[in-house]
Amino acid sequence: MDIYMTGVYIWYYNICKRQVWLMAHSILPDENDDNIVLGRFLHEYYYRKDQKEIKFGNAVFDILYQDKDEIVIGETKKSSRFKEASRYQLLFYIKLLKEAGISAKGVLFYPEERKKEEVVLTAEEEEKLEKMIAEIETIIEKESPPPAATCRYCPKCAYREYCFA
Amino acid sequence: MKKDLYVFNSGFLRRKDNTIMFETDEGKKYFPVEEIESVFIFGEVDINKRFLEFMTEKNICVHFFNRYEYYVGTYYPREHYNSGIVILKQVEFYNDYNKRITIARSIVEGAVLNMLVVLRYYNSRGNMLKDEIETIERMRHNISACSDVNTLMALEGNIREIYYRCFNKILDDENFTFVRRSKNPPLDRINALISFGNSLLYATTLGEIYQTQLDPRIGYLHSTNQRKFSLNLDISEIFKPIIVDRVIFSLVNKKVLSEKHFEKELNGIILNDQGKKLFVSEYNQKLYSTIMHPKLNTQVSYKRLIRMEAYKLQKLFLENIEYKPFVARW
Repeated sequence: MDIYMTGVYIWYYNICKRQVWLMAHSILPDENDDNIVLGRFLHEYYYRKDQKEIKFGNAVFDILYQDKDEIVIGETKKSSRFKEASRYQLLFYIKLLKEAGISAKGVLFYPEERKKEEVVLTAEEEEKLEKMIAEIETIIEKESPPPAATCRYCPKCAYREYCFA
Repeated sequence: MKKDLYVFNSGFLRRKDNTIMFETDEGKKYFPVEEIESVFIFGEVDINKRFLEFMTEKNICVHFFNRYEYYVGTYYPREHYNSGIVILKQVEFYNDYNKRITIARSIVEGAVLNMLVVLRYYNSRGNMLKDEIETIERMRHNISACSDVNTLMALEGNIREIYYRCFNKILDDENFTFVRRSKNPPLDRINALISFGNSLLYATTLGEIYQTQLDPRIGYLHSTNQRKFSLNLDISEIFKPIIVDRVIFSLVNKKVLSEKHFEKELNGIILNDQGKKLFVSEYNQKLYSTIMHPKLNTQVSYKRLIRMEAYKLQKLFLENIEYKPFVARW
């Protein structure tokens, strides 16, 4: 199967590997789940789609602006609960830009918490990303998803009823 | 949580800006579309294409019922949860007869176990159902020996006949006597209630399947091809005793329903509008009542349990996780 690597896969990979497989096979979570409805609302409320969202290849940046002589890309999140996942998602975008010859810096925005955090792509992080991408491809190519395993994200996950039915 | 919209009166159902509007001689009523999961139509309602397009956009199933035959059909919007691999696997489990009969047996097993749960409850309350329970227990052991779907269906039918006859002991009301199962049309009040309740449940289950990647046309106990939808009939079997039948017991034993809620039609007996409304109201209370789910460790409604039953089948297809039907604990 052709895998169209996206930042969302990087994000899911860092939260739950089973979710990567389910998403890649169009087994979507319950879209009426309260947390998903809230996330969708926040995204539309804080950053109006038509104004700020920018497409670059198969990546979509929530925010993009020029700060002095540097390009900054931003990603908005509901909370910092998934900090690591959010960081790698953004690092993946920075890497994409880098491969296109554009040097950029990243910023994570948590509007509900009134916080932001800078993200920089180092050589070490880049190597980690390469490994993640390879592993994501291996997971997706498997015939069935990794079995459900309880983690700290399960109680609020929109797949919880699916995984534990 | 989203609710279902039930329409009993006659009128015009239409889209008004971004809401559902129901217009009758008495006036207009509005229903916020984001709060609606499915629409059930009983009255003489006019709808237009614009309304159906709106239902498609919002992924809402519209179920139609008529006066005599109850369930007419469903406007099932194009799939929004679509997955190629799930359909392929679902078909694979149908085409492999061994796999198909295994699922069919589990469904019957689940249905019978839930009938027994209901009977044991009433037996413990002095309804003297010991003999019937023992008979059904004995017959239950034959399920695993059924090697074809027709034998299995016949066995299930025989068990259900004994089970329905227990209603005469559970329902202490001579106006509600069960003789034998009759459909199209139902010949007595109990049959009218069973038919009406089952058609509601079939529609509810179809709506829940719509929220999964499964195709409702491929059933395992009920053959594919003979009818438009069959997976919803399969899953409904498991829940009939604990949802529909318990609604009937509650309505009759609490004297909410009486003879005046029925009318004679086409050599049979059906519920009148008032009776249907009372039934639907109790049915909905049941659907939204919750139980503690042992694995999720949270409260889950009966309606969600139906969805989770579909999830379990999907997991059997994709991950080969053994399908165990839901069995109520009391």
